[in-house]
Amino acid sequence: MIPVSIQVRQALGKLVLPLLLLLSIGVIIGAQADKPLADRARMYVADALAPLWSLMSGTQEHVLTMTENLREAGRLARENARLKTENENLRRWYDVAVSLTRENDSLKTALHWIPEPAPAFVTGRVVADSGGIYARAVLLVAGTESGVQVGNVALAANGLAGRVTETGAHSARILLITDIASRLPVMLEASHAPAIMVGDNSPMPRLMYYAQDTRPIEGERVVTSDQAGAFPAGLPIGTVHYVSPGRPVVAPFAQLDHLTLLRVFNFGRAQIEPPEAPGHVPLTPQKKSLELPLKSLLGQG
Amino acid sequence: MMPDPSMSSWEPEIQPRQTLWQRLDSGLRHLLPSLFIALAIIVFSAPIPLPGSAELLPAIVIATVFFWSFWRPSGMPSLAVFVLGLFMDLVGFAPLGVSAFILLLVHGVAFYARFGLMRLHFLLVWAVFSLLATAACMLQWGLACLFRLHMLDMAPALFESFLCIGVYPPLSALFSWVFRMLDDEEDA
Repeated sequence: MIPVSIQVRQALGKLVLPLLLLLSIGVIIGAQADKPLADRARMYVADALAPLWSLMSGTQEHVLTMTENLREAGRLARENARLKTENENLRRWYDVAVSLTRENDSLKTALHWIPEPAPAFVTGRVVADSGGIYARAVLLVAGTESGVQVGNVALAANGLAGRVTETGAHSARILLITDIASRLPVMLEASHAPAIMVGDNSPMPRLMYYAQDTRPIEGERVVTSDQAGAFPAGLPIGTVHYVSPGRPVVAPFAQLDHLTLLRVFNFGRAQIEPPEAPGHVPLTPQKKSLELPLKSLLGQG
Repeated sequence: MMPDPSMSSWEPEIQPRQTLWQRLDSGLRHLLPSLFIALAIIVFSAPIPLPGSAELLPAIVIATVFFWSFWRPSGMPSLAVFVLGLFMDLVGFAPLGVSAFILLLVHGVAFYARFGLMRLHFLLVWAVFSLLATAACMLQWGLACLFRLHMLDMAPALFESFLCIGVYPPLSALFSWVFRMLDDEEDA
């Protein structure tokens, strides 16, 4: 180190700040005069700091993922607790169901209950229907060779879909409950009151001809009725919904706008012959199909 | 009376030569504020979504420079202020040298007024700092206008000066705590 006196050193110390101020002004002017140089200096610094920055953003992402994972674990714990309580509840209901089934069995035994025959059914794939006289009908790839007959009942996964109206050897046409030609006797499950479900080509068929003292209740289940002998009683159809006051409709359980598979049940209603009774007019299905001139014209083409 | 055998009582100026570790230690003590500012610059320029980081960084740097310049100028020499200002300009997008110039002005004012400032109450020091910070932000805004050659929006400059004023008390509390810790270590 150069030996300088204390006075000189103090004077030099006082000069540092003004010199640096002048230098910074020089830097400002220089950077304004030569912008590419300043930009290059910036890029050098940024390049040198890039690893540090990437390290920091990586750490930040790690922290974010970890907090997210912790939050997810908390959610899972809550969900687990909820499922545990629900499981306990369901276990209770299972016990109730088992005891009710046993009671039902013992009551049936005591009453000498005649068991219903198990219905035969076939399952077929639905293919889109083009043509035909109905607006809401589907074609099923299962026909008379599989045992499908006219008048059989088609069920979707969770509710009634329609009835078989025409059969071929390998296909059957099913009239859906939403078609305008569909009129079914139904029963309102809460009041056991009869009504008629009338299709109108809309997704929700209307309810008509119900008794005025037992009006359908919003949300009530609608099941089939065995009046006229077309359906067995108690097949689930849908729930009552009021689109406007005094206009109840049925929201079907089956998703009728995109059916993929249908089960066709033969409940064997045709075999049930009522015993002869004086004055009884037998209710037989019309064997002769309706001859439409339009259909024969279409058939030629 | 027996003379004290320890060397320091004979000649207070003559002390045993510092070991390498002691020299490193004291050097780090002097570099601490500069390292803090450099770290703040790197953290705030990183692509991390911190709210208002563009205005918060100059506020923190100005407050730190002011505090150390008048309480402990040995920790904040003029050269370090110049280098840090230049570094901030290089990392940020301000015209090169503007931050260095402004920080040197703040440092100079604090350095030359420190004997007056030390006697004042904290609130008065804060008031002086508020004036100085507002002036610095206005100067920065004026220089930016001058170099772009049209009037810029004044709101960010005002926001920056408010952040400066607001960030000073917590930072000064932090640095006072650091002082006390360093002094305790030196006494021990």
